[in-house]
Amino acid sequence: MGRAYSTIAFDPAKCDGCGDCMTACAQAKTGTDDWARSRIQIVGRGNATQDAIRDAIEDATEKAFELALCRQCADPKCVTVCPAGALAKDGASGVIGWDASKCVDCLLCTVGCAYGGIALDEVSGHVSKCDTCDGKPACVPVCSKGALTYVTTANIYNEVGDWEDLFAPGLAGCQGCNTELLMRHTLRRVGPDTVLATPPGCVPGMGSVGFNGTTGTKVPVFHPLLTNTAAMLAGVKRQFKRMGRDVTALAIAGDGGASDVGFQSLSGAAERGEQMLFMVVDNEGYMNTGMQRSSCTPYGAWTSTTPIGAGCSAGQPAQGKTQDAKNLPLLMVNHRCAYVATASTAYMEDLYAKLDRAIEASKTGFAYVHVYSPCTTGWRFPSDQNMEVARKAVETNFVMLWEFTPSEGLRFSRSVDDPLPVTDYLKAMGRFRHLSPEQIEHIQGKVVENSKFIQRFSEQAHGG
Amino acid sequence: MSTTTLEKPAVSAPKKQKVMLCEGNEAAALAVALARPDMVAVYPITPQSSLVEHVASLIADGKMDADIVDAEGEHSVLSVLQGGALAGARTYTATCGPGLAFMFEPYFRTSGMRLPIVMSIVTRDGITPQCVWGGHQDAMTVREVGWVQIYCETVQEVLDTTVMAFRIAEDHDVMLPVNICLDGNYLSYGTARIELPDQSDVDAFMGTKDVNWHVALDPLKPMAVDPLTGGAGGKGPATFVRYRKSQCRGMQNALGVIEAVHAEWAERFGRSYAPLVEEYRLDDADFAIMTLGSMTGAAKDAVDEAREAGKKVGLIKIKTFSPFPVEALMRALSKVRALGVVDRSVGFRWNCGPMYQEVLGVLYRLARESGTVLPAMSFIGGLAGADITIPHFHRVIDATERLLDGPAPTEPVWLNEND
Repeated sequence: MGRAYSTIAFDPAKCDGCGDCMTACAQAKTGTDDWARSRIQIVGRGNATQDAIRDAIEDATEKAFELALCRQCADPKCVTVCPAGALAKDGASGVIGWDASKCVDCLLCTVGCAYGGIALDEVSGHVSKCDTCDGKPACVPVCSKGALTYVTTANIYNEVGDWEDLFAPGLAGCQGCNTELLMRHTLRRVGPDTVLATPPGCVPGMGSVGFNGTTGTKVPVFHPLLTNTAAMLAGVKRQFKRMGRDVTALAIAGDGGASDVGFQSLSGAAERGEQMLFMVVDNEGYMNTGMQRSSCTPYGAWTSTTPIGAGCSAGQPAQGKTQDAKNLPLLMVNHRCAYVATASTAYMEDLYAKLDRAIEASKTGFAYVHVYSPCTTGWRFPSDQNMEVARKAVETNFVMLWEFTPSEGLRFSRSVDDPLPVTDYLKAMGRFRHLSPEQIEHIQGKVVENSKFIQRFSEQAHGG
Repeated sequence: MSTTTLEKPAVSAPKKQKVMLCEGNEAAALAVALARPDMVAVYPITPQSSLVEHVASLIADGKMDADIVDAEGEHSVLSVLQGGALAGARTYTATCGPGLAFMFEPYFRTSGMRLPIVMSIVTRDGITPQCVWGGHQDAMTVREVGWVQIYCETVQEVLDTTVMAFRIAEDHDVMLPVNICLDGNYLSYGTARIELPDQSDVDAFMGTKDVNWHVALDPLKPMAVDPLTGGAGGKGPATFVRYRKSQCRGMQNALGVIEAVHAEWAERFGRSYAPLVEEYRLDDADFAIMTLGSMTGAAKDAVDEAREAGKKVGLIKIKTFSPFPVEALMRALSKVRALGVVDRSVGFRWNCGPMYQEVLGVLYRLARESGTVLPAMSFIGGLAGADITIPHFHRVIDATERLLDGPAPTEPVWLNEND
């Protein structure tokens, strides 16, 4: 299996052009403070000349900046055009290295690169480019605005890529669905000594339990009822425990079954401390059956049972769901489960860390992981936008990532300070297209309220 | 019919049985302990509550080695047991009335998954009108869902049949869930002398547990349990039909297995019961009354008195209600010329008792074979805890006798209407 690589990511929305990254790079690589020699370049929009950088930054009225930095491309054009074989991609790190002993200083590489990722250092007389400082890029930690991050998610792929995928290829999820990704990651982490419960919904709908004698899962798997997942799985686990066998009981359930009709059995199993890992894939409605409302559907959202109404086009207020969503993970906190966490498929490292803790907790008690999973079909956004929608949910605090244990309390695993306005999330999909300014104001208010509410849990926990 | 799929030691003389006084609910709990289940799930409801209290005490006192799950409702009670059975557990629970209604969703499914769960129904009338007393309405309402349902007459029969139920359910030719129905109030709280078999003798009777040999959730033999089946295309229709047919075959197989298990019980423990249909003073009878459950005791007394008065009446008691014992009933009904059926519940669609309604199907088959139609009528009594006394049964006997040379009424007779 091939390798994936870590990368430096840039968020122009957060960059204020301070130039600290360029200072750090120049110091690390040349021992000077000369921005012109930095291998990372922040460029004021429309100002591309190196000499004018500082002026451009100070003068920039839009305060919008671009990044000139080597992307460590998978198919690097700089390498292709180099006539001397001085540039080569390293298979282990993914970094494109430059060999001074072979370079003929022809500068063709600077023409080949579309990202301004390799440029002439006029002091040295040679080209220079980012080498990620051997995986510890100097520029990233000095960025106080959070515009630069070193994304190491590739480590997950490199670590788990060779683990057995316990779902068969070709599950029939909708195009662009994150849930299949989530299922595969989760089950390969939990491993083969598992009994998997997938109540009616998208998860078995894509063939995990199977149709007429076929199955998509390589571990024992069953359809509970929509209503009794936690109870049935508890029975399985208890009997294996009685027989002295270490079998993980895993449920992957939808939000409808968990928060509505299956809530009683979920609550009962949590109260009894049944030993299982209960994962809810929250796509905020009954998406498998045609996108109907659940109690996890957010305020204002269109669903097929909370339509916007015919009067909308005639100037009357659009309807959508008129109540706020039930916060199921907080309800589970109030069961004092052994472990409760929220997670997002856009933050896989966070998800993996929480999976590890949840699996461990499920050996002695009830572990609950609530994963927000945008639905391309039901939320009405293009199928290539799922990760982006998931990320925007978190960046706006519409979704907050945290974990809870009874002894440690609630802890945010990603800061909820300085969120983006909720409109950045809402505008990414069609189900909120009809919202009035008043409805948007309501949602923004609820996001702030929820954030404060959960923060109080966090503060109480840290206060002892 | 095979009941020998399990290796069991040869029958030897039973050890002395302990004589004790107990109510039906305690007898059921003692029977469950004797059967050594792995998992018991409980939720209280009148008139079943003392049964699960007795089970909990037996486990807490170390007299029973089972995992007890105090679930948050009957729906989860049965669901927990389904999971346990799929992992190989011998399982038991009890419920009644509204609890059974709440449990209906997993209840429906248990027989389809062929899980040999044993559940007592301490029968209770249906609400509304609001009531907490006995009646067969709960069990009758779910008679068409693929569970084996066996009704008991006495406290001793509750004990013996509850143990036997596990053998019947787990028989490889059956593999179906079994309800032991004991009348709320009359059997649940009725106190009687019982003889309690010795554990070692019951162990020999039970043989080796083998619950999930056919369908299992086990990482050592991965299997998808209950994938989506059916539809109009591909293998769907045939797969679904084969499944349903095998369920029906299991039900029919149960008739023979119930007989064989009762015969073995009699041999081992010296107590015999008619496993499907009991015939009482029937051979020389002109007409018969039909009963179900604990009412049978008073009915037999009434039959005895009527006999002394010169009426040639006999009694037919159904013990196994599901599967319906058609052949055994045809044999019994062929001996008489009129029939009165006493139900402890209501069949709303036909305006009669549900057992009467079921018997009509047997009478049709009998008429096809004999060429004559047996006149029959429906009596409904004992609703919501009402007593069906010997005088009530005399009314039944007299009315049924009039069928011999008079018209059969189309309306049911409501026995407690003026009590």
